Amino acid sequence: MTYQTMLKLCSAMVLLASAHAQAVVQVFACEPEWAALAGEIGGSNIKATSATTALQDPHYIQARPSLIAGVRKADLLICSGSGLEDGWLPLLLRKGGNSNIQPGQAGYLMASQYVNRLEIPAVLDRAQGDLHAQGNPHIQTDPRNIALVARVVAERLQQLDPGHAASYREGLAAFEDKWNAAIATWQREAAPLRGKRVVLHHKSWAYLESWLGLEEAATLEAKPGVPPSAAHLNELLVQLKAAPAALIIRAPYQDPKPSEWLTKQTGIPNAALPFTVGGSAEATDLYSLFDATIRILLDTMEPASDR
Amino acid sequence: MTGEFNVNIVMPALLAGMLVLSTHVPLGRRVLERGIIFIDLAIAQVAGVGVILADGVGWEAHGWEVQVVAVGAAMIAALGLNLTEKWWPDIQEALIGVLFVLAATASVLLLADNPHGGEHLKDLLVGQILWVDYPQLIPVAIAYALLLACWFGLGTRVPTIGFYLVFAVAITASVQLVGIYLVFSSLILPALATRKLPKRWQLPAAWTIGLLAYLTGIGLSMVFDYPTGAVIVWAMAMLAIAGAWVLPGLLRKA
Repeated sequence: MTYQTMLKLCSAMVLLASAHAQAVVQVFACEPEWAALAGEIGGSNIKATSATTALQDPHYIQARPSLIAGVRKADLLICSGSGLEDGWLPLLLRKGGNSNIQPGQAGYLMASQYVNRLEIPAVLDRAQGDLHAQGNPHIQTDPRNIALVARVVAERLQQLDPGHAASYREGLAAFEDKWNAAIATWQREAAPLRGKRVVLHHKSWAYLESWLGLEEAATLEAKPGVPPSAAHLNELLVQLKAAPAALIIRAPYQDPKPSEWLTKQTGIPNAALPFTVGGSAEATDLYSLFDATIRILLDTMEPASDR
Repeated sequence: MTGEFNVNIVMPALLAGMLVLSTHVPLGRRVLERGIIFIDLAIAQVAGVGVILADGVGWEAHGWEVQVVAVGAAMIAALGLNLTEKWWPDIQEALIGVLFVLAATASVLLLADNPHGGEHLKDLLVGQILWVDYPQLIPVAIAYALLLACWFGLGTRVPTIGFYLVFAVAITASVQLVGIYLVFSSLILPALATRKLPKRWQLPAAWTIGLLAYLTGIGLSMVFDYPTGAVIVWAMAMLAIAGAWVLPGLLRKA
């Protein structure tokens, strides 16, 4: 190959790369699970970033310049919604001034609107704690919800980037095949967990419970978002003595101290479940997220010897 | 730095910083003189308790009403501290510390029944400089212009009670804009760095150190994508050390 052709080839590659960079749909996700989902469907046609990591509480985040820059150039915003990001997303959207991702636009996707939400309070009484009026927003702990959101993500990507519509349709079809097969496997593996009683640190696991048929024995926080009082802890101990539970569950960003305290008092084991992509060393994508979740639940509640 | 950067992202933050410095640098010198450096924490906490209380008695405060309640609570605390300074000047700093823990724990107790108030408290105490936008700056600019006119208009004749009241208003506004860490730093660090300078140089030098710190901090936060407020605090500490070291020699020669 001559020097000249090399040069031409190189410049052609650079041009291609930059044209490609231009065409990529920028996805700004509030939580890592939605960035991962967009990646599953959009592949190399999109570039997804997440505002939070699995180790951050998505209720609160620190303001960094890249968040505003990310919102400015985003074509599609994907968040859980239902009030989870109320503390910062409205501010961020206002600062970003990007009209493509404002409420009502195709670029504005609140995932929880597309699933059957649990725990929508009949009466919103402020004395009940930090309740979300629109129901429990932590929908990603049930993989069937992720399948529902996947369809909406694919629709929106087709709408925003019609040139690659076929590729998004194929991406969705491939994901749905693989995902539904995975759900069937997880459900088979998790069958022995049905009816097990669990204690929750915070009400983050309603969808996991309803999916796997777990029973919520109690929550460490008497009211969501309020630290437990002495009276509540005492009541919890009495209750768990009368009707023991199999496991105490928390998210990786929650303080392990309360659940460890309860383990010492009751002998019930505790575990941090990954909660979202990146929540543990194993949970590197959506598949391994549920692989790891089911494995931890089985290991702690159904030791291998009993299986 | 990732991609092209729009200055508009950080311009309001820089203006907010300049506003905070305008009042906090002169106030900080008085705070340091009196040795009551934790007064900002105490006053801000009391302002927060005021808002939670208003919320708790069912008054759903929004917008300017929240500000009235917050400033009102802060001013009551300021009047109280003015009296304690008169009566027990030797234990004033200790009393300020006590006021801080009482206010902070009062908010925990009040919030046990009303976690929604917690959102108010967070809004009030944990302002984040990067979220600031232009419309928010206008009322603060007007209030600070009035405060500065009073402060410098009266000159050395500002009575103690005047200091406490100006302080209460200035702090209540600034914690909501930039958060308590930056408020504390803007008060104390430039004042510390310049206290050994000739009198006429102290204020200009302190303002310059503060402004350079905000510029450096915001710049570094853009390049390395760190939370902006925290980077500014560190930039200010470094510049204050450098300033305290270099400036006395420089200005003596001048």
